[in-house]
Amino acid sequence: MADGGDALPTKSRPIRGGSLGEADLPVATGVAWGARARPAESPFVQGLRRLRRSAAALVGAGIVIILLFVAIFADVLAPQSPIASDQTHTFERPSWDYPLGTDQLGRDMLSRVIHGTRISLLVGVSSVLLALFVGVPFGLIAGFYGGRVDTVIMRVMDLILAFPIYLLAIILMVIFTPTAGLIGTMKVTGAIAIVRIPIYARLVRGSVLSIKEKEYIEACRALGVRDPWILFGHVLPNCLAPIIVTTTIGIATSIIVEATLSFLGLGTQPPTPSWGWDLKANVSFIQANAWLSLFPGLAIFITVLGFNLFGDGLRDALDPRLK
Amino acid sequence: MRTYILRRLLQIVPTVLAITFVVFVMMRSVPGDPVVSLLGDAYTEEDAIKAREAYGLNKPIVIQYLIWLGKLVQGDWGASILTGRPVLQDVLIRLPVTLELIVLSMGVALAIALPAAIIGALRQNTWADYTATSVAMIGVSIPEFFIGVLLLLLFSIGLGGLLPSSGWVYLPGTCPTMVCGSSLWGNMQHVLMPAIALGVGRAAILTRLLRSSMLEVIRTEYVTTARAKGLSERPIIFKHALKNALIPTVTVMGLQVGFLIGGAIVVETLFAMPGLGTFGIDAIIARDYQQVQGFALLTALAFVVMNFLVDMTYTFLDPRIRYA
Repeated sequence: MADGGDALPTKSRPIRGGSLGEADLPVATGVAWGARARPAESPFVQGLRRLRRSAAALVGAGIVIILLFVAIFADVLAPQSPIASDQTHTFERPSWDYPLGTDQLGRDMLSRVIHGTRISLLVGVSSVLLALFVGVPFGLIAGFYGGRVDTVIMRVMDLILAFPIYLLAIILMVIFTPTAGLIGTMKVTGAIAIVRIPIYARLVRGSVLSIKEKEYIEACRALGVRDPWILFGHVLPNCLAPIIVTTTIGIATSIIVEATLSFLGLGTQPPTPSWGWDLKANVSFIQANAWLSLFPGLAIFITVLGFNLFGDGLRDALDPRLK
Repeated sequence: MRTYILRRLLQIVPTVLAITFVVFVMMRSVPGDPVVSLLGDAYTEEDAIKAREAYGLNKPIVIQYLIWLGKLVQGDWGASILTGRPVLQDVLIRLPVTLELIVLSMGVALAIALPAAIIGALRQNTWADYTATSVAMIGVSIPEFFIGVLLLLLFSIGLGGLLPSSGWVYLPGTCPTMVCGSSLWGNMQHVLMPAIALGVGRAAILTRLLRSSMLEVIRTEYVTTARAKGLSERPIIFKHALKNALIPTVTVMGLQVGFLIGGAIVVETLFAMPGLGTFGIDAIIARDYQQVQGFALLTALAFVVMNFLVDMTYTFLDPRIRYA
């Protein structure tokens, strides 16, 4: 993994004179001699600067941007309909007309892979966002108020966490009954979000426990600021770095879980194109048509790799301590 | 220490009860009625009522759960609604397959992760390190089933059927019935690809984690001291650094059990293995309540016992950790 980049200016000159501690300070904190005149950079800007220096993060961001583009313009980019079958062209090998070949129903694999990007990204991003919207407030409240509220919330979260992730997701999908189309996609999103809620609740609660002891929170209280404003205006912004990092890597995990559920036949149902489902359906024909399983699998791999690379770069940039 | 172990063992009980109860309630909220599948075309309302009574499905959920629990403590895991076979018997036939798969996949994971992480950390920012970290990044991004497909393409199709693409041959001594065949060679042929498919992802996670812990540990003062007193590199790495760097790694290995169970379901499905994973997913999809309960019980037990063992391993890795 390429390093997130060292923000320390290599030619910085320590302050001469004064105590040893003072002399060491500018070097240790990376403030260059002469930089005093400029206003101090916010940690966010410093993070962005570090992110820009990480080749791996840039590659990851590039992959994610291309995938977003493909997902948004899938209708324009796909040469054919992903669900239209053509019995006269089943199991076509990759050719100029069918760059990735056709499946057992004569559907164009390139179009299915392109449209599959939508389902994958939609489920990956929206399940994590949904988990965030539920998990973060729970974590904030549990950590901030403590006591019985904390005990009740965290015991429920612990119960969800005690489940092996796939067991819970599979049973939830059986309860929701997998279907095709947007409704089917929303069901998968809901199942994955439920499984991931405790991750964010725990993460935020941990950060809140240390932040709420800080003096600026005490100052807010002394000034009579209302609790919701303290929570969302002062506590939340200070635990954003780990949330952003976990979210990016969480999208990668959610995409894998979605593909796995689809592979087991419990994701979005056909004819809606889904990479996991396509891979599973084509494994039966792997002897004669190896490429059919290869392309959906590669698509999953590249997408997950993109988010992982970007997430790793973000972690190094936003919170070097987490490395 | 003894009190701590006892307390931890007692904590396992409520966790397992909670998981099995939640699964019990969730399965009963799945739309559809298993009695309908049981009776099939011969379904009549009268027979359905009788069948529900026979399986206790007409009672309140909590009572049904307590009945299941009461039988469980007497060693009765119930019988499948659809096949009528005792759940315990089915589980025992399938357990060795999944256990072997998981143990071997962890072996594969450690065999790759330990050398890769140590070399990566000791030669930081060299080509060896870049290779290890890049391969690990690729490893965490490939789902188990795609690794499985790639292995199938290579060994079952590309190399002229070197390894079988599906089925199972038991390891000698693990076959629980008289009917299944067993041979060491046949078993190795069948388990190799699934174990690699399941192990590679774990190897990648462990490599990343162990490498960064090793990097932290080798910069600590006690490692510098060990070097200063003239200790050779091998005991420094293996006795001082690795042992301490393993602590966070062991925690993650414990947490990975949940993912391993999911991975086992996927890999067993891909390679058509008669393990607990395929048993569990088939039971859940068929809504076979008793079989699902058996699967959930075993999964919950594996999960909590593994985490308990992880806690116990800490005392071995770091003697300063003492549980009062």
